Amino acid sequence: MKEAKKTSERVFRYLLNLNFWIIMAIGILISRSINGYIREGSAHEFLKGVEAVPEMPYKIPAAVFLFYLVLLLLFQIREEGELLFFVKTGMEILAGLSICYLLDFSYSGILLLVLADVARKLADTRWKYLLIGIIGIVYLFADYYLVPDMWKTASLEMCLNYYRGDVRALLLGMRNVMVSLNLLTFVAYILFRIREQINEKQRVVELNQRLHETNLQLEEANHRLELYAEESIRNAETRERNRLAREIHDTLGHTLTGIIAGLDACCMLIDAAPDAVKEQLAVIADVARKGMTDVRRSVKALRPDALEKMELSKALDEMIEECRKSTKTDIQYSCNDPLQGFNQDEEEIIYRIIQESMTNAIRHGKADHIRIDIRKEYQMLTITVSDNGIGCKDVKKGFGLHHMEERLSMLQGSLHCSSENGFTVEAKIPIRWGEEKM
Amino acid sequence: MKKRNRILTICAILVLAGTILFLTGSPVSGFLRKETVITIGAFSDSYWEVQNGYSYQILDDAIEKYESQHPGIRIEYVSGVMKEDYNEWLSEQILKGTAPDLFFMPEENLCEFAQADAIEDLTDRMNDDASFYKDRYYTAAIRSGVYEGAVYALPFECAPRLMFVNKTILDQERIAMPDGDWTFNDLYQICRRVTKDSDGDGSLDQFGITGYTYEDAFCGNGVTLFNEKGTECYFTGERIEESISLLERLKDLNQGYSVSEKDFDEGNVVFMPMLFSEYRAYKPYPLSVKKYAGFEWQCLPMPAGSYGENVSNLDTLLLAMNKKGNHKKEAYEFMKFLTGDEEIQSEIFTYSEGVSVLRNVTESEQTLVQLLTDSGSGSFQIDTLSRAVEQAAVYPNFDGYEDAMKEVEEAVADILNGDANISTGQIIWNRRINAILKEKNIK
Repeated sequence: MKEAKKTSERVFRYLLNLNFWIIMAIGILISRSINGYIREGSAHEFLKGVEAVPEMPYKIPAAVFLFYLVLLLLFQIREEGELLFFVKTGMEILAGLSICYLLDFSYSGILLLVLADVARKLADTRWKYLLIGIIGIVYLFADYYLVPDMWKTASLEMCLNYYRGDVRALLLGMRNVMVSLNLLTFVAYILFRIREQINEKQRVVELNQRLHETNLQLEEANHRLELYAEESIRNAETRERNRLAREIHDTLGHTLTGIIAGLDACCMLIDAAPDAVKEQLAVIADVARKGMTDVRRSVKALRPDALEKMELSKALDEMIEECRKSTKTDIQYSCNDPLQGFNQDEEEIIYRIIQESMTNAIRHGKADHIRIDIRKEYQMLTITVSDNGIGCKDVKKGFGLHHMEERLSMLQGSLHCSSENGFTVEAKIPIRWGEEKM
Repeated sequence: MKKRNRILTICAILVLAGTILFLTGSPVSGFLRKETVITIGAFSDSYWEVQNGYSYQILDDAIEKYESQHPGIRIEYVSGVMKEDYNEWLSEQILKGTAPDLFFMPEENLCEFAQADAIEDLTDRMNDDASFYKDRYYTAAIRSGVYEGAVYALPFECAPRLMFVNKTILDQERIAMPDGDWTFNDLYQICRRVTKDSDGDGSLDQFGITGYTYEDAFCGNGVTLFNEKGTECYFTGERIEESISLLERLKDLNQGYSVSEKDFDEGNVVFMPMLFSEYRAYKPYPLSVKKYAGFEWQCLPMPAGSYGENVSNLDTLLLAMNKKGNHKKEAYEFMKFLTGDEEIQSEIFTYSEGVSVLRNVTESEQTLVQLLTDSGSGSFQIDTLSRAVEQAAVYPNFDGYEDAMKEVEEAVADILNGDANISTGQIIWNRRINAILKEKNIK
């Protein structure tokens, strides 16, 4: 691929050199011929045969050189916008035509050079094809016998009449060879350009194919990951169940066994020794209390870490702040209560409801604005989480919502969802101040 | 990358503009100079090929007068170029790009230089110029600067062709001097009467006319040979038939003897056409060159055919402007001054041999009145001369005029030498010449 690009640029440079030598040679030849006519005293004879007075002899090669310099400068311009491209090509045509004019339209190959430069630009803009068309037409008609009379001066043949017949034939023959050589080089350049473009297209196709394959692999990996996640959830559940079973067995089972055994003993003793029963019941109460402590400890292991470390209100602040930061969601949070005096399971459910609702709003609702409102009125705590997401037409309670409802009902609370203007979750929890803590 | 592109574009535009300036001739140098210099090309000897020693006098006077009226403008001329080298010199200067802003130009060269696009088309400039009075010039003189419908040059001086008359022979033969409005028939009758063997040696030694060409005859009969572009020839018709018939009859009088200019110089021929400038040059006044000492002579307008007037061809010296000149506006003003200033134009009668191209100047010219009065001719009036200039035929200006005229000359010679009837010859040659013109135009 890179090899081909280098080749076409090399051919272009060769085309540049070739044209330079051709136009300079013709320019000098014309200049010399006119000077020759003047020196030999046949200027009047020469003037009779011309269509217009040619430029001053010394100016012709000089101006040809300068116009060529303009072309060289313009050829250096790369990666341009459409306007610049248009202006640049316009100037190239002007400079090219000027050279043709100075050479009496005896050589128009310089326009092929301009055409080659336009073809060098990779992007296929509308201008590009328009300009290629224009240059092509200009090239076709840039011939001494076809250009308008006002552009004509003296034909090359007329200038070369200054030379002897055999020299003239040789010079004209050489010019024809040069014209053909230039044409062949141009064709070679175009061929290399086409090869280059075909290679480029092939490379794009290959890249696309590779991208497609990688995509497929990714999809499969994703699928496998999902399966793995499900399995790992199941594993975790099993582990947790086992742990709970063990915990119950170790703590509650042990305590209950002790309580049952103690109570059996009490039944037998109650008539014989009521005092001993009293003593025994006190021991049993101790065991029950101990069991209670154990249960509490076990339950503690299931509480969110944040609640373990700090107060509910702080934990909520922190969770909401974290969510803001991690998801860039605009979350508005208001609360009219210090949220103190709740017991652990109440704290935990408040925490979980807010966490679950935010997660739902972001994940399912694609919301970017969430409003969280916690209000305490009379003996009722109302938590409202509303978002501006897509909501859902038919509220089907999934695992999350269902779980929330279940836990709320354990506290005699209720859950209400609606999907108007986004999604709103409203949870009501009755406050049981003064009740005995578990 | 963007910055680089911008620098490259600016460089390219600068070099392009610089090159175009370099090619078209820099107006910068013009701004730097305080005064505008207009150059003018002229030849050192007289246009009328008569040596008089005053070749630059009119130009010098004109420059002095113009420069005093227009401060800041200087006019220079290149001196020392002879008329025979003038065309080559001018062509060289044009090719080298060093040609003067204005140059004198014989009218027969106009179409070559106009064709080569070396001289400026003045039509628009003249039409836009309220101070240019075309009517003051003789129409024929203006017409000689026209090529393909456009004015390429202004006339500076001109000269009509006139008929020289050897008065001595007429007196000997007791023939009255013809009037200014004489005809083909008058000419033929006089020629017939004077052509004879005066010394009785068996061969003719006194003749009627020499140097009278078919062009003179066509002119006197109002013949238009070509259309303006030179694409068609009108060689048929009675005007040409009558003219050729006159030539044929005049030729027959000489019984095969070819009369030359030398015979006229020796005083053996009555008529010879001549440019007015030659007439002036050889008149004893104001220049004392007396060429024809052996006889009395005088001049007349050319004879008229039954369809034409007493007119002849007009020879005009033109003034043209360099197309690549730097100060065209100023040059045009000076051009107008040189051809249109009455004082300068009247100097033509003093220092040159032509006639002013301004009607006013020629008609009121005292020098000329003096000259004509001195020649003792009662029949040649100044208004006759003015009319001769006014109505003069102008050589058409088209590319290949000379070649076309060669064809016509050959045609006339062929008809004169052949036995065939004139109008048949006309039809044959008309077809042939038109075919040649057509072929040339396709090329």
